[in-house]
Amino acid sequence: MRPILLAGHERALTQIKYNLDGDLIFSVAKDQQICVWFSHNGERLGTYHGHVGAIWTVDVDPTSTYIASGSADNTIRMWEVKTGKCLKTWEFPTAVKRVEFNEDGTKLLGVTEKRMGYLSNIVVIDINPDITAEQTDERSLTIVCDESKATVAGWSQASKYIIAGHEDGSVSQYDAKTGELLDNVPIHELDKPIVDLQWSPDRTYFITACRDKTAKLISARDLATLKTYVADTPLNSATICPKKDFVILGGGQAAMEVTTTSGRQGRFEARFYHKIFEDEIGRVRGHFGPLNTVAADPTGRSYASGGEDGYVRVHHFDKSYFDFNYEVERERLNRSQ
Amino acid sequence: MATTAPPKAKHDWADDDDIEETSSELPPPQTISNKDGTKTIITYRYNDQGQKVKTTRRVRYITQTETVNPRVAARKTWPKFGLSAKDPPGPAPDTTSVGENIIFRPSVSWRKDAKEEGADANAQAMKDKLKDKKVKCRICNGEHFTARCPYKDTMAPVGETTAAEAPAGLADDLGAAAGAAGAGKKGSYVPPALRGDRGAGERMGGSKYGERDDFATLRVTNVSEMAEEQELRDMFERFGRVTRVFLAKDRETGMAKGFAFISFADHSDAVTACQKMDGFGFKHLILRVEFAKKAQ
Repeated sequence: MRPILLAGHERALTQIKYNLDGDLIFSVAKDQQICVWFSHNGERLGTYHGHVGAIWTVDVDPTSTYIASGSADNTIRMWEVKTGKCLKTWEFPTAVKRVEFNEDGTKLLGVTEKRMGYLSNIVVIDINPDITAEQTDERSLTIVCDESKATVAGWSQASKYIIAGHEDGSVSQYDAKTGELLDNVPIHELDKPIVDLQWSPDRTYFITACRDKTAKLISARDLATLKTYVADTPLNSATICPKKDFVILGGGQAAMEVTTTSGRQGRFEARFYHKIFEDEIGRVRGHFGPLNTVAADPTGRSYASGGEDGYVRVHHFDKSYFDFNYEVERERLNRSQ
Repeated sequence: MATTAPPKAKHDWADDDDIEETSSELPPPQTISNKDGTKTIITYRYNDQGQKVKTTRRVRYITQTETVNPRVAARKTWPKFGLSAKDPPGPAPDTTSVGENIIFRPSVSWRKDAKEEGADANAQAMKDKLKDKKVKCRICNGEHFTARCPYKDTMAPVGETTAAEAPAGLADDLGAAAGAAGAGKKGSYVPPALRGDRGAGERMGGSKYGERDDFATLRVTNVSEMAEEQELRDMFERFGRVTRVFLAKDRETGMAKGFAFISFADHSDAVTACQKMDGFGFKHLILRVEFAKKAQ
């Protein structure tokens, strides 16, 4: 497969998101602008300007009409996808590390950083899906994470729970309506931060990526660890492939350690694991720095990875990817035919 | 990907610019439809040296029909905005490029394959080569390394016994053989000075300094500026036959630079001269005499 290189950022990528139809890719980096690209040919549709700090996170609503972004300038901004116009700015006392729309795009959650005496908060804002309407300033819910700061968070199926990953390697389950802490499970090694949390297509389970060199598949209902994927390098991101039973992990040693070790050791590769058998089935190299984020196309045709090197690489899968099956899978297919 | 040449190839930005600048002089681009369904596109442009260049491209258009969601189709028609607002349709070359092909074939035994691939190049080849080889001593043909042979000190290696037994020119033969082997065996470069087949000082052999014997040459320093070669020769002649006197002089002023070399025919004479003349007062300066170091 021939990757498409997108060079729209001057600094390290922080997050990549596909929209639900899989035709647009939103990328944010530490350089204050959001880029949107067509996934099929890598053409840049536009950029969104307004943030005055590194942008940590972006998310697009299910209808691809607006996006939200969280930045180190202590704001969440909402933008119109089509025109690049900033629709709304919410201000917070500290940087915003993660934003996510719920399944129907009516609620937006944001995770704020713990800093300057402020605790890490998970805030929920109700979104008016009408693009012309004035958005509310009100936070409909604020969850204070007083034990260990939240690094990532997301909505489970039907917006029932808010799941948060913490800096101490634990995962919390909150009631999305009341904000009550229902459960907290130490999933990963103690004090290794969870750096990414991405959902399965139906949002019943999710994958976490942790600096303890593992990624885990966890059920949202009871926070049970379903699968564990062991890598040989600290991970920055993990995603679940739709259509095929694969997960993609991205990582590499910390960016600050890159210059002190050889490039060969860097392991700046996207690793593919079989979702069920937990085996590593292949790697895709190409980045010059650690992979900060990986995202899978919801239609299952491609995936994109963003690295510390400032590049987004979009890979459209070959036939061999779709043809790959385990022996048992093949047998089952043969029987059913 | 399957579309080998999208129609916009014709409107490549690089071509556009050139055509605009020089359209008055260049023939217009031609497009000829061939019988086999391909098209020949002939374009003209000027290259960096201002030469007219004719480019002929044969292109096959493949129309690939893809059914997309109407929402997706609608989005493809959106005007660009932000930094891309001025970009023409199609991927802009400054932000979008295509990387080198990556072969990605998922495989259950990926880890094992990769390991073998890495090791294959040398270790596996070496292993294959040595598969049916046995350790054999060169001295006694026993099954041990030569270095471990119990007869190591008493017997020469099997193949070399004949050479060792040859009575005449034994040392020379071996030396030559060793030299040749040393240079030829490894195939690596050996500097001439280190090659075994000639003496280190012989490089200048044949030139006018050929017979110079560094062994019996003294270096005299702290020589007065007023000194003359003849004076030095007279002084050192008392210890034995002096073959050469060299007094360094400034090219322009003709004054001595303060050092000289005195070569003796006999080494023992040089030793005596060195002892006697070191510290000798000469024209208000005290000479310092030592054996000349060999030129490196």
